[in-house]
Amino acid sequence: MKRLSKLLLVVVASLTILSGCTLPGLSGSDKDSIKITALATSESQIMSHMVRLMIEHETDGKLKPTLINNLGSSTIQHNAIENGDAQISGVRYTGTDLTGALGDDPVKDPKEALELTQKGFEERFDTKFFDSYGFANSYSFMVTRDTAEKYDLTTISDLEEYKDDLRLGVDSSWMNRKGDGYPGFIEEYGFRFDSVSPMQIGLVYDALNAESIDVALGYTTDGRIAAYDLVVLEDDRQFFPPYDASPLATNALLETHPEVERALDKLVGKVSTETMQQLNYRADGEGIEPAVVAEEFLEEHNYFDEEGEK
Amino acid sequence: MILGSLLSDLSAYYSDNFGYLMRLFFDHLLMSIYGVLFAAIVGIPLGILIARYGKLSGTVITLANIIQTVPALAMLAILMLGMGLGQNTVIFTVFLYALLPILKNTYSGIKSVDPNITDAGKAMGMTRNQVLRMIELPLSLSVIIGGLRIALVVAIGVVAIGSFIGAPTLSDIIIRGTNATDGTVFIIAGALPIALIAVIIDIALRIIERKLDPTVSDNDAPEDVQSVN
Repeated sequence: MKRLSKLLLVVVASLTILSGCTLPGLSGSDKDSIKITALATSESQIMSHMVRLMIEHETDGKLKPTLINNLGSSTIQHNAIENGDAQISGVRYTGTDLTGALGDDPVKDPKEALELTQKGFEERFDTKFFDSYGFANSYSFMVTRDTAEKYDLTTISDLEEYKDDLRLGVDSSWMNRKGDGYPGFIEEYGFRFDSVSPMQIGLVYDALNAESIDVALGYTTDGRIAAYDLVVLEDDRQFFPPYDASPLATNALLETHPEVERALDKLVGKVSTETMQQLNYRADGEGIEPAVVAEEFLEEHNYFDEEGEK
Repeated sequence: MILGSLLSDLSAYYSDNFGYLMRLFFDHLLMSIYGVLFAAIVGIPLGILIARYGKLSGTVITLANIIQTVPALAMLAILMLGMGLGQNTVIFTVFLYALLPILKNTYSGIKSVDPNITDAGKAMGMTRNQVLRMIELPLSLSVIIGGLRIALVVAIGVVAIGSFIGAPTLSDIIIRGTNATDGTVFIIAGALPIALIAVIIDIALRIIERKLDPTVSDNDAPEDVQSVN
C-alpha cells in the first residue's frame, strides 16, 4: 500500500511538471509565448502571418509568436486579448471595433474613426490600435470595366441616372441592415434600383463577371476585384462607415518587447487595398495557404528592411 | 473529367503549400500523441489499480464513461472557459477522451489473465509486484496496446475540432474550404491527411499489438493450441 501511494505520488508529480512546461515540438503551448489572433478569413490570416513573420525577422528568431486561428468575430478576438489568451490581433477594423468593442456610434470620416478607436483602446483597454496597414475592407459598389466605360461611371451618384436599367446584386444581410443597409442607402443617396437580387456575398463577383447583374455590392479587398478587373465606385457621400485595417497589440507586451512595436510599425501603410486584393486572390483564387502568401510578400519586399535600421 | 481537374488541383495545392502543410500535420499528430500519452500515464496505473481493488472499478469506469458521452465540441467549449484558447486546451480534451479506452482495456486486460497462471506465480514465491511485472502485464500487453490504438484514433478526430478554439490543426484547411466560394479542393486537401494519420496509426499499432501478444505467434500451428487445451 505504501509503495502504491508512492507510485501515485510520482505519477501526479510528473503530470504536474509535464503540464507546466512547454511540450517539445509544439511551439504554441508555452505560457509565455506571444499569440496572435486571426479570424477565419483569408485576409486576416494573411496579415496575422505577416505580423508573425515580421516579429520573427525583427528579433532574429528569438521571439516566435503563434497564431490563434479561425476565431469567429472581432468580438472573440477582443475577448481573447482581454482574457490574456493573446497579445496581438493581426487585423482589426476601425468600423467594427468602434461600434463593437468600444460601443460608440459609427463615425463616417476615416481619420476621425481611427483617432477615436485608437484613443478608446488606449484609455479603456490599455492596448495600442496601430495606424492602418493602408487598406480598408468596407462595402462598396462595383461594376465591370465595360459597364463603367459604357455609362461613364466613377461614383455611386453616377448610378442614379441608370437606376432603372442596371441590375444590382447585394449581400442578403445588407438588405435589411440598420444604419449602412439598403434603407439607409435609399435615404442618403435618394434613389432605389429597379432590380435588386440579394444573394450570398461570395457569389456577387462571379454574378457580375458572368453579367447576370450589372452592379454589385461587395467587399473592397476581395481578390476577385483584381482578377475580374472590376471598377470600384467612389462612395462620394461617405455613406459606408470606414473599415480601415490595423494591427493591435497590448501595451504590456510592447513595453517588455519594444522590438514588436518596431516590427508592427514597419507594416503600417505598406499594404494598399489593391495589394490586399492581389494577396487575397493568391489565397482564395489560386489556392495558396495564407502563411505562404504572407511569406512570399515579405520576402519580395525584403521584410521592409531598407527603411529604419534593424 | 471533373475528377481529373480535381486531382491536378490537389497536386498543385500540395506542392504550393508543402511546408505549411507539414507543420500542421506534425502539430496535429503531436497534439494527439501528447493527449494520449498523458492519458496513458494516468490511465494504465489507474487501470491496474482498479483491477486489483475491484470495488473501485465500477465508480472509475462509470466516471470515464460519463466523460465520453459529452460531445467533443461542447467539451472544448467548456474547457476553453477555464483554460483559454489554444493547444493546451485541445491536449487536455484529448486526454479526457483517451482515458476511457486506455483505462478499460488495461482493466479488462489484467482481469482476463488466467487466475491459474497468477496462482502458479504466487506459488513460486513471487511478490505481488513480480506477479504484475512478470505475469499480468506481459499477458495483457496486447490488450493495453489495443486501448492505446483506439485512443489515438479517437484523439485525431478530437484534435480536428481544435481548430475552432484556435489550435493549429489540419482542420484549418477544411474551414478555409467551407468559407471559400469554391472550396472543394481545400476541404479534400485537409481531410486527406487527417484520414491518413488515422490509418497509419491504426495499422502501425495493430502490428505492434500482434507482435506483443504472447498467445499468438507466427509459428503457432493449430494443433499446438489444441494440445494446450
